[in-house]
Amino acid sequence: MRGFRSGFRLQLSFFRNYPDSLIPLLTAPLFTVVFTMVLRHGGRGDLSGYAMIAPFYMSLWWFAIFNGGWVIQTERWEGTIEYLVAAPVGFVSVIVGRISTMLLAGAVAFGEVWVFGRYVLRTNVTIHHPYVFTASLVLTLIAMTTTSLFMANLFVLSRTAVTFSNSASYPVYLLGGILVPIALLPGWLQPATNIVFLSWSSKLLRGSLSAGPIQGAAFDLSMIALLAVVALGLATAFMSRILRHARSSGELALR
Amino acid sequence: MSPRPQAVTVIDLVRTFQPRKQPAVQALDGVRLDVDEGEVHGLLGPNGAGKTTLVKILTTVLLPTSGRAEILGHDVVHDAKAVRPLIGIVFGGERGLYTRLTARQNLEYWASLYRLPGAQIKARAAALLERVGLAEKADVKVETFSRGMKQRLHLARGLVAGAKVLFLDEPTTGMDPIAAREFRTLISEIRAEGATILLATHDMVEAEVLCDRVTLIDHGRILATESPRSLGRLVSRFQRVDVEGADRELLDRVAALPGVESIVESDDGHRINVDGDEHVPVVLKVIVEAGVVDVRTSRPSLEEVYVGLIGDRGLEV
Amino acid sequence: MMSSLRVMRYSVLSGAYDYTSIYTWKSWLGGWLVRVMSQVTFFALIGRLLGANQQIWFLLVGNAIMIAAMEGVFALNMVSWERSTGTLPLIAASPTSPVLVLASHGVYLVVDGTVSALGALFLLGPVFGLPLPWPRVLLIIPLTILIAASAYSLGTFLGGVVLGFRGLNSVVVNVGIVALMALCGVNVPLDAYPGPIAWVSRFLPITHGLIAVRDVLAGDLGAAGLQALAEAGVATGWLVLCVLTFGRFVQRGRRNGSLEFAT
Repeated sequence: MRGFRSGFRLQLSFFRNYPDSLIPLLTAPLFTVVFTMVLRHGGRGDLSGYAMIAPFYMSLWWFAIFNGGWVIQTERWEGTIEYLVAAPVGFVSVIVGRISTMLLAGAVAFGEVWVFGRYVLRTNVTIHHPYVFTASLVLTLIAMTTTSLFMANLFVLSRTAVTFSNSASYPVYLLGGILVPIALLPGWLQPATNIVFLSWSSKLLRGSLSAGPIQGAAFDLSMIALLAVVALGLATAFMSRILRHARSSGELALR
Repeated sequence: MSPRPQAVTVIDLVRTFQPRKQPAVQALDGVRLDVDEGEVHGLLGPNGAGKTTLVKILTTVLLPTSGRAEILGHDVVHDAKAVRPLIGIVFGGERGLYTRLTARQNLEYWASLYRLPGAQIKARAAALLERVGLAEKADVKVETFSRGMKQRLHLARGLVAGAKVLFLDEPTTGMDPIAAREFRTLISEIRAEGATILLATHDMVEAEVLCDRVTLIDHGRILATESPRSLGRLVSRFQRVDVEGADRELLDRVAALPGVESIVESDDGHRINVDGDEHVPVVLKVIVEAGVVDVRTSRPSLEEVYVGLIGDRGLEV
Repeated sequence: MMSSLRVMRYSVLSGAYDYTSIYTWKSWLGGWLVRVMSQVTFFALIGRLLGANQQIWFLLVGNAIMIAAMEGVFALNMVSWERSTGTLPLIAASPTSPVLVLASHGVYLVVDGTVSALGALFLLGPVFGLPLPWPRVLLIIPLTILIAASAYSLGTFLGGVVLGFRGLNSVVVNVGIVALMALCGVNVPLDAYPGPIAWVSRFLPITHGLIAVRDVLAGDLGAAGLQALAEAGVATGWLVLCVLTFGRFVQRGRRNGSLEFAT
C-alpha cells in the first residue's frame, strides 16, 4: 500500500507540474463545441448528449496513453527506474499507483464535459437511467485504468509504441462508437468492436440519456468488466516478466 | 572468525553481457571482495573496468551471471527484499531525478519509497537538503540545477533512509574542485556516523584522501586490494626522499649511507631511493645538517600505482 | 541569394531525412494513414446520423483537407526541435534569416500533409459516394498544398511565440489544431457561426482555401479562384508576422534563459 500511495501522489504532482496534462481539459470543450455545432446545424440538436459523451472518451484515451501508457518508459528515459527497482517498496505497486490516478483524471474529465455541455452550451440532457449510467461510468474508468496498465507494459516491449500512441486514437474512437453508434459502421468492422470495451460503454451511456428502456444492460456491463479483467491479467503477466528480464539483461535504464 | 557478517561480501562474481548482434562482453570476471563494516572502500579503475556493473549487482539492480554477493549477510539475488532497506545509492550524473519537480518533492517521494513514516518525511527531507547545502534551492525545479547541485541532491537521496551501506558511483564527476572538496567533507562526516561506504571512482585524489582501502579493478578483474599507502609498495618498495639544491659533494655522502639504493635525477632536483623506513631518519639528518631545506619524503602515489599496474591508456577507453 | 537557397536546400533535405527515421513505409501506411482515414471517417459518419448525403460529403471534404492543415501546424514542433538540439541560437546568429531555415526544415510536413489529405479524400470519397468531377477535381491538389503552407506559416509563428515558455509545445499544437477544426468552417459552413467569430475565421488558415475546394467540387471555379487568392493572402500575412516577430522571440528566449533547455 505504501508504494501505491507514493506512486499515486507522485503522479498527482506530475499533473500539477507538466503542462501537457492540461491538453485533454483544453481540447474537450472545443470538441464538444464542434460536435454540438454539427448536430444542431444538421437539425439533430436532440442528439446533443452524444456531443458531450464523445469528448469524455477522447480525454480518457489521452490520459490512458500519456499519463498511463508511457509511465514505465519515461522512468527508463529519466534514469529513475533503477532507483525505483532498488527501493524497498514494490516496483509494481508504485507503477499501479501512478496509473490509478487515471480514475481521478477520468472523473474530472467527465465532470468537465458535463458542466461545459449543460451549463455553457445549454445542452438539454437528462440522465433517465441513473443507476446504469453510474455503473457504466465507474466500470469504464476502471477498465480504462487496467487497459492503461497493460499499455504501460506493452510500450516497454514493443518497438511500435510511438506509432501506436500517435495513430491509435481515431481508429479506437471509431471502433468504440464513442460518437456515432457502431451500428453505423460497415459490417466487417463489427466483430472488432466487441473487444474494444468503449463500444459497450458508449452504448450504455447513450442509452441512459434516452427516455426509452435500456435492453441488455447487465450483459453490456459484464462485458466491460470482463475486458477490464482481461487487460489486468495481461498486464500482470507481462509486468513480472519484464522486470525479471530487465534485471538479468541489464537493460532497465535506457541510454 | 567474527560472528558478525561483513558489510559487503563478493565471491567469484561473474557478469557477461550479450548485446544484440555483437560479441559478448565480460564485464566482471570472477571478482572477490570484502568490505568491513564502517569502512570506506574505494573501487578504482578506468572507464569500462566493471565498477558500475559491480555496484549495480550489489544494489540489486542487476543480476549476476554466476557467483554470489551478500550485503550484511543477505544474498543480493535471493534475498533482495532484505537488502534494499539497508542500502543507499548515489549513481550521480545528469539523470535519475524528476526534472520538473522541485528538489524537495523529489526527496520526499524517495523518502516515502523507503518507508519513512509520514510524519518524518518532511522533516528528514528538509534536514538533508540543509545538510547538502541545497536548503535555499529546495523549492526550485531540478531542471535548472547545475551538475554539482544535482550530485548533491543525489547524495541527499542516498542518505534519506539512514542506510547502513552507501554505494557511490563517480559522485564527484563534473564538479568543480571546491564543490568536490565539500562533497568529500560530507562523505567523511557520514563515515564518522558509522556507515559503510563503497566508492567507485577514477579520481585518484579522492581515493587517496577518503578511503581506508582501495581495490584496483580493470577489465572485470581485481588487481589488488590494499590501503592507499600500502598500494605504493606494489610499485616500489622504496621510500623516497626528494631533495632540491643538493650539491655533488652532499649527494656522494648520502649515496654512501646504509640503505640508500640509488640516487636519480628528477625534474627539479634529485630523488634518493631508500630501502627500508629505518634508514630514512639518518639520510634526512645528513641532508638537513648540510643546510639543504628543500626536502620531501614520499611513497609512490596512487596515480603511479594506477598507471604502473593498469597501464597508460592515454585517451583510449 | 545563392547561399540562402543552398541553406534552404540543405534544410529541406535534412528535415526529410529526419522524417524517414520516424516512419517507415509500413508504419506510415499501417499507422499514420490508418489514423488519417479513421479521423476523416469518424467525422463523416456524423453525417450519416444526420441523414442526408450532403452532410456526409461536407464533413468528409472538410476533415480530409483539415489533415493537411493539421500537419502544417506541426511546424511548431520544428522550432522547438531546433531549440532542443541547441541549434536555434546558432541559426538566430547566422546571416541567413532564421525563419528561412526553420521554414525549409519542415517542408516535408507540407508534402506529407498534402499527400495524407488527398489520399483520404480520394480513397474515402468513392466509399461514401462523393462525386469527384474530373478533371476539375485536380485543382484540389494545388489548393491543398496552399492550405498546408498557410497552416505551416501559422505553425511557425506559434513556434516563435512559445519559444519563451517551457513545455508548452504540445499544448499549443493540440489546442491549436482543434481550435482550427472548430473555427474554420471544417465541420459547419461559415454562416453557422455568430458574426464576430466568422470574422476571426477569415484571418485564419484553411477557411478560404476550404471554401475554394468546396467551390471547385460544386463547379464554381471563379469563386474558387477568389477564395484561393484570399488564402494566399492569409498565408502571406502569417509569414510576414512570423518574420517580423521571430527575432524578438529569440531575444526573449535568450533573456529569460529558456532557450537553453530541451523542452
